[in-house]
Amino acid sequence: MIMDERDETIERAAEALSALAPLKGGAVARVLLAVRAARARRAPVWLRVSWWMQDTSVSARAAGLMVAASLAVGFVLRGAVASDENIRLARTGGGIVALQPVANAPAEPQAVPVSMVFDLANARSVAVVGDFNGWDPSAAPMKRIGGTGPWSATVVARPGRHTYAFLVDGTMLVADPLAPRAGNPDFGGDASVMMVRTP
Amino acid sequence: MGGSRGNLTQYPVAHRVSVSEFDSSLPIRAKHGDEQAFIRIVEFYYPRCMRFARNMLGSEQDAEEAVQDAFVRVYDSFPRFREDARFDPWLFRILANRCRSLLARNERRRAVIEYGDVPHGAADSEAGADWAEEVRVVLESLPAEQREAFLLRHVEDMSYEDIAAMTGAGLSALRMRVKRACDALRARLTEVSRDHG
Repeated sequence: MIMDERDETIERAAEALSALAPLKGGAVARVLLAVRAARARRAPVWLRVSWWMQDTSVSARAAGLMVAASLAVGFVLRGAVASDENIRLARTGGGIVALQPVANAPAEPQAVPVSMVFDLANARSVAVVGDFNGWDPSAAPMKRIGGTGPWSATVVARPGRHTYAFLVDGTMLVADPLAPRAGNPDFGGDASVMMVRTP
Repeated sequence: MGGSRGNLTQYPVAHRVSVSEFDSSLPIRAKHGDEQAFIRIVEFYYPRCMRFARNMLGSEQDAEEAVQDAFVRVYDSFPRFREDARFDPWLFRILANRCRSLLARNERRRAVIEYGDVPHGAADSEAGADWAEEVRVVLESLPAEQREAFLLRHVEDMSYEDIAAMTGAGLSALRMRVKRACDALRARLTEVSRDHG
C-alpha cells in the first residue's frame, strides 16, 4: 500500500501552487465569445433560421422579415427543383434575407463595408464583435473620431442578417442602442441585429 | 448602423455578477439550455481552471487557451453530461485532456529547439531565488502524468476515486504517480531549504 503522506514540505509546495490569480478583466467574456463563435460556426442552416425567427424583439420589422424568410424558403425550394441557381436572396421592403448557399454554390455574395459608430465617453477601449468577424475581440477595434469623439470602425460583412455587439474595455458586451435587439440574448450579454443589403 | 449614446448601467451584463458559492443545480440547468447558468459556471470555475492549467502548462497564455477550449467543449458536451454525476471531475477531465493536447503540441515545438537551451527558470534556480519558483521548476521537470496527479490530489484536493474516474488510471498507479511527484519535490525542496538556511 502506497501511503499518501502530506508532510510540511508537500503542504508548503501545494500552498505555493494554490494561489488563485485574480480574474483578469475580460477573461470570462473571452470564454463566452469563444463559445458563441464556436456555436455560430457549427450551427446548421435551419438552426440559424430558427435563431433569426426567435428575434421577436424587433416586432413589426421582424414580422416582415419572417414573411420574407418564408418567401425565400419557398423560393429556394422551388428554385432547387426548377433551376441550378444556388444562391437565393429574397428582397422585401424590410430588407434582404440571405440564405446559405447550397452544395455546388457559386461564390458567396461579396462582403461590403459597414460603418459603425458608438458613443460612450468613459470607455477606455471599444471593439465591434459579431458573427461577421467570429466574435473576435481583436478583429475590429474602434477608434475615437478626432481623438475624443464617438467610437468608430468599419467592418466588412456579407449581405444578410448579422448579430453583433460592442465590447467595452474588453469586459462588457453592450448592445447597439439604435439597432434592434437580438431576441435571443446569447452569451455574455445582449446583442443587436443588422441587415446588410446587397451593394 | 450605430448608436448615439451607450450607457453601461443601461445594459447590465450577466457575466459581471460575482458568484460566491456554487449552486449544484447550475450544470443541470446549463444542460437544458439555460445560458445564464452556463455563464455562472464559467465565472465560478474560471480561476480554478486557470490555476490547474497554469500549473500544468507553466504558461499563462497556454493556460488561457486550454481553459477557453475546455469551456467550449464543456458547452458542446453538456447534452452528454449525466445529471446524477458530479460536475467537478467532469469539467477537470475535459480540462486535463486539453492540457495534455497542448503539452503534446508544445513537446513537438520543443523538439525543434536546439538541444542544450537553458530551461525556463533555471537561472533563478541556480541563484537560489524564490522558493515558490523552485516548486514550479520541480513541477515542470516531472512527467506530465505525475504533475497532473499531484496537482489534482494536493492542489485541487480531489479524491483518488475522482481522479481515477477522470483520468482512467487505476488507483494504485495514481498513488504511485503522486508519491513520485512528492518524492521529487521533497528531494529538491529539502535541498533548497538547507541551502538557504
